[in-house]
Amino acid sequence: MVEDTIIAISTPLGYGGLGIVRLSGKKSLPIAKKIFKPKKNKAQIPPRQPILGNLYHFEQKEFFEEAYLTYIPSPHTYTREDVVEISCHGSPVILEEVVRLGIKAGARHARAGEFTLRAFLSGRIDILQAEAINDIIQASSYKQAKISFSQLEGSLSQKIAFLRNRIILLLSQIEASIEFPEEGLRISAKQISKTMEKAIHALSKLVESYNLGKTLSEGLTLAIAGRKNVGKSTLFNSLLQKERAIVTPYPGTTRDYLYDKLNINSSIFTLIDMAGLGSSLHLAEKEGIKRAKILASQADGVLLLLDSSQRESSEDLKLIKKFKNKKTILLFNKIDLPQKMSKKIVKSRAESLPMLEISALKGTNLEKLKEMICEFFVPDQKHGEEIILHLRQKLLLENILDCLVGGKRLLKEGHPEEIYAEEIRKTIPLIGQLTGEISTDDIIQDIFSRFCVGK
Amino acid sequence: MNFVDEYDVIVVGAGHAGCEAAYTTATMGLETCLITIHLETIAQMSCNPAIGGLAKGHLVREIDALGGIMGILADETGIQFRLLNRSRGGAVQAPRAQSDKALYRLTMKNWLEKVPKLTLFQGIVTEILIKDKRARGIKTLEGNRLLAKAVILTPGTFLNGLIHIGLHSYSAGRANEPASHELSTNLKNLGLKTFRLKTGTPMRLHKQSIDWSQFTAQPGDKKPIPFSFRTQKNLKNKILCHIGYTNQKTHEVIKKNLDKSPLYSGKITGVGVRYCPSIEDKVVKFPHHQRHQFFLEPEGLETAEIYVNGISSSLPLEAQKEILKSIPGLDQAKILRPAYGIEYDAVAPTQLNCSLETKKIKNLYLAGQINGTSGYEEAAAQGLMAGINASLKIKKKKHFILGRNEAYIGVLIDDLISKGVEEPYRLFTSRAEYRLLLRIDNADKRLTQYGFKFGLIKEKDYEAYQKKQERIEKAMLFLQKERIITENKEKLRLKDLLKKPEVKFKNVLEYKKFSGLLTDEEIRHVESEVKYEGYLKKQEKEISRMKKIEGEKIPENTNFRKIPGLTREVIEKLEEIRPKTIREAKKIPGITPAATMNLHIHLGIQKRRSEKGEMFHVKH
Repeated sequence: MVEDTIIAISTPLGYGGLGIVRLSGKKSLPIAKKIFKPKKNKAQIPPRQPILGNLYHFEQKEFFEEAYLTYIPSPHTYTREDVVEISCHGSPVILEEVVRLGIKAGARHARAGEFTLRAFLSGRIDILQAEAINDIIQASSYKQAKISFSQLEGSLSQKIAFLRNRIILLLSQIEASIEFPEEGLRISAKQISKTMEKAIHALSKLVESYNLGKTLSEGLTLAIAGRKNVGKSTLFNSLLQKERAIVTPYPGTTRDYLYDKLNINSSIFTLIDMAGLGSSLHLAEKEGIKRAKILASQADGVLLLLDSSQRESSEDLKLIKKFKNKKTILLFNKIDLPQKMSKKIVKSRAESLPMLEISALKGTNLEKLKEMICEFFVPDQKHGEEIILHLRQKLLLENILDCLVGGKRLLKEGHPEEIYAEEIRKTIPLIGQLTGEISTDDIIQDIFSRFCVGK
Repeated sequence: MNFVDEYDVIVVGAGHAGCEAAYTTATMGLETCLITIHLETIAQMSCNPAIGGLAKGHLVREIDALGGIMGILADETGIQFRLLNRSRGGAVQAPRAQSDKALYRLTMKNWLEKVPKLTLFQGIVTEILIKDKRARGIKTLEGNRLLAKAVILTPGTFLNGLIHIGLHSYSAGRANEPASHELSTNLKNLGLKTFRLKTGTPMRLHKQSIDWSQFTAQPGDKKPIPFSFRTQKNLKNKILCHIGYTNQKTHEVIKKNLDKSPLYSGKITGVGVRYCPSIEDKVVKFPHHQRHQFFLEPEGLETAEIYVNGISSSLPLEAQKEILKSIPGLDQAKILRPAYGIEYDAVAPTQLNCSLETKKIKNLYLAGQINGTSGYEEAAAQGLMAGINASLKIKKKKHFILGRNEAYIGVLIDDLISKGVEEPYRLFTSRAEYRLLLRIDNADKRLTQYGFKFGLIKEKDYEAYQKKQERIEKAMLFLQKERIITENKEKLRLKDLLKKPEVKFKNVLEYKKFSGLLTDEEIRHVESEVKYEGYLKKQEKEISRMKKIEGEKIPENTNFRKIPGLTREVIEKLEEIRPKTIREAKKIPGITPAATMNLHIHLGIQKRRSEKGEMFHVKH
């Protein structure tokens, strides 16, 4: 796994301008050379210099885009491996095509956070340093993994134990049939396929759980929550200084969630503006609200907005109750207007939540808010190691899934047992790294307790 | 004045391990004495009248490639031959043969008597003579001493053997053969740790008392495949085996009699062979099974004895008779030998080096069932290796080790010495990480060179082997070079065509003629090489990667407590033993592959961190 050369788009999609595709690994340069040809025919590509050239579509055998290639040889790179960066037009279509060609040329798509994982594993950075670098945000699955872990801690080890048993069962079925051909044990390919299906299904779900909130793939996610018309969209816009959300005086206008990136002191946050979380009668709004609730529950943090120019409603208090055990900053908005809210009551309900008075419209205290966001939400180093370990866990699970899917394909193609058994046996050391070892004795024991064999 | 004799090597016990060991050392030029309690029972098959099977057949091929004799003997005395898993790929196919037991041991005795430098001697060994922590010879019951430079101990199940039939037990190494008590005590006194194991054997019936019409015949293969690469003649099937089943009535009988079973009544303390469950075990563990299969196997051409494979038992004779009564076809059967269970001492094999020499006493080698294995083939393989290594040591040469990627013999010995044994060890193909590499069709390719080097494979056999390799090379080149266009307009090399699961070599020949001549076996070898090619390449890569990892040094001051993912037990072991390389760490019992990986990753990180590493900003 760590022997592969990985490739991924390094810059956020959809920003226009420049986009960068990055490769890391032993074969970075040879692979890049297949998809990039320098303008001036150079035999060698000199290190650490951007070289102008063209992207080359080796399938259609034509050049298609101008680009710069920078080759940075190991060990003085981010991951300590050979790194190649191809900078070109930021169109998502072009960037994705470059990645696809790179994969065809022998690279593998980097999993979320894998570059940083390699940097960490190679001892290049420790988590303290990782956080100081923009790139940690690329590993947003860090945060996802952290959330996943803390949310799923109990059930996770259960699920992995279940997976381990499935795999032992699978192997014992296949091995029993191989080892005891005379004892009427013929387990049909259909049965084995079924057992594989179950394992694959369970595993896919497990891997999925590490990918919560896939739609928002970058940055620590902050949900701006609050009931209708408290000024969420205004806050959203003000923080971003853009007119992204549709702001109208009519309640319930934000029917969907909108998100964008906020950069505070080199930490990137993805801000989500959601439909008001109050109850609603419109069907379309109901959908939006449902989605919003899920996002809020998956978000790294919540900016809970109250309209302090109105009395605290039961809904407000409900929301406080809901979010007070999450990482939430309570915001009294519209302080530019005469205040009607009883801050005392609210504070008593909110207990230890950090609070701030702001005016999203007028911009009051927004700088202070940004500071608070940074201080409060950026992950502390203690959890960093945990995050890395769980990222590794996720990668292991994905590898195991690949093996099982590969095994199933081989079975379907009519290959004999010992061949697809090999694919499945590959999972054994991987599971060993996740949970207890599976030794051949475990499988043999399972065979003998499950099947009456042996003469 | 007692009789003293001096040899290079003394082999104690003429079972399957002992015979291979003695043959090997004598053929490698060393004066050898093979001493055994009873010359009549040289190479006696205690149990199954058969050689081979899954993994075991693989071992026999490997023994043969190295120049051992089990394979040739099995071919010579075989009376029915079958290739198991014929319908599957080459890696899991294995030969198996029913043997004429009497012929097997007589032939072995005959051959051994003719080996120059090999002396057979009948005697009971009571003590290993030691001087300066080195084996110097043996002492017999009468007080005679035989001296040697090395001693190979292969006593099988004879050490403190105790037979159980029902609640009655008596001392024996095999039915009615005296056990060896003094030797067992002697080993304990020498500081070797022993433990108790148990196994069993089924009853033998008179063939004329069986109603054969009740059972399904199982014939041998039409074209029997020999075990030995050196067997020239065509093999013939001379007997049929038959398949039968127990029934509910049988199970009732067994359940009724469990209190008379030494195991189930707690009389036996030894750990049993899970892989050779007695019929009591089967009925107890699988109560919902309606029936259990058994095989009726003739023990020879001349004898009337039929071996009931699958009904091993230590129930009393009366119960055994009742069991037979409950099975149609066996209801009138006469028992010639009752089934019985046997307990015996084994020596914990973790006390051995990879050459099978004991760590405590130099030049003392242990091989066979004494190391906790079960099976003739497992014993023979160890005997062969102990023989080779004892000879090499005496010749002051480096020992001979086979890796887990080179042979099942390597897997067997490595499992024994590094993991130890809790119950009798039997080899399975799934124990091999590199199962696709270790096939019956390429055993000679892997090992014949060693057999020749040690002088166990003769010149002319080696030449035949080389010619075979040339023929195979020619076929591989043919497949690599020739291209065709298939019906679906695919342009393929013949090799790629053969890779498809449903295609065989003969199908390929329909497209292009091949001028060479290959035997069926050689064709199967070519098919395997081609069909497994992708996997074989991956496994080769894996092997070289593992070798690199294993060579990594572990710095002296490594703090094992800091390594994530290591259990407390593993940490304690590492701290106690302080291995210097990953290879050494791997050998420590209880250190799992995952722990090794974690150690490897951690070392990698530490290494890079200790080099000059600063934070590096990459400009986007």
